[in-house]
Amino acid sequence: MPHFLITILPAEKKDKRQYSKYFKACLNNLIRSLMEKDENHFSGGKRYRNKDITVYWKPSACVHASYCYRELIEVFDPSRRPWVDMEGASTEKIIEVVNLCPTDALAWKWNDEEKNQDVRADQYNHIKFRRPGLMQDKNSVIEETPVSVKVMIDGPVVLKGDFELTYGTTKKVVSDGMISICRCGVSDHQPFCDGRHRKTGFNG
Amino acid sequence: MEENNNKKPQAIVEVIEFGPLKISGNFIIKDLKRNKEESPGEIWLCRCGKSNNKPYCDDSHKK
Repeated sequence: MPHFLITILPAEKKDKRQYSKYFKACLNNLIRSLMEKDENHFSGGKRYRNKDITVYWKPSACVHASYCYRELIEVFDPSRRPWVDMEGASTEKIIEVVNLCPTDALAWKWNDEEKNQDVRADQYNHIKFRRPGLMQDKNSVIEETPVSVKVMIDGPVVLKGDFELTYGTTKKVVSDGMISICRCGVSDHQPFCDGRHRKTGFNG
Repeated sequence: MEENNNKKPQAIVEVIEFGPLKISGNFIIKDLKRNKEESPGEIWLCRCGKSNNKPYCDDSHKK
């Protein structure tokens, strides 16, 4: 029997009812997370974030002490998928409850790297104390790279990055992509550039 | 819900039918011919080739 099943088996008979509901939900979550490609997943477990903080979850360390969902079911709900909803409560409240976790399963950090340097020791479950290795995890910081809009010499406008594009009835999200929009007005492939500006001698 | 993809759309790019290209949000525009670099938040770029204020739209397409 895998060790993660042993850890969530009821200790005594009277706890059985309390655990059985979550036993099912936890198992379902585990199976689904193994089957699906999960964008919260990374090598150190999972991470969830709001604008201020990132919460890390390491499933293998969880002993189901259940402080998290008993204190803050709005955020930590094992029967929901994904089970952590970072918009369910204020940042302060989430930090307070993550600090209650008796294991390494839940840890948190500020998204602002500078703030992580002088965190006090009473923040028990800050990654600095719980999982210092994650201090190097830069991926949790939300990247806000501006879209690059390049107006080419006598040519199209080239857009690069992450943006939403609408033309005619089409609406799509371009993720880390590149498109060229015609500026000369003669492209046969509107709104995109087809290179015709070179033949017509567009000056702009 | 958590938004965990690092790639959130930073700008909205709208091709206006028979009109300019509207770009708004977080972007940097580099004009290679006029050697300018700006981050204005919202712009309308000419798509018809007739503007006298290139690369921006000056409503020449309506004439």
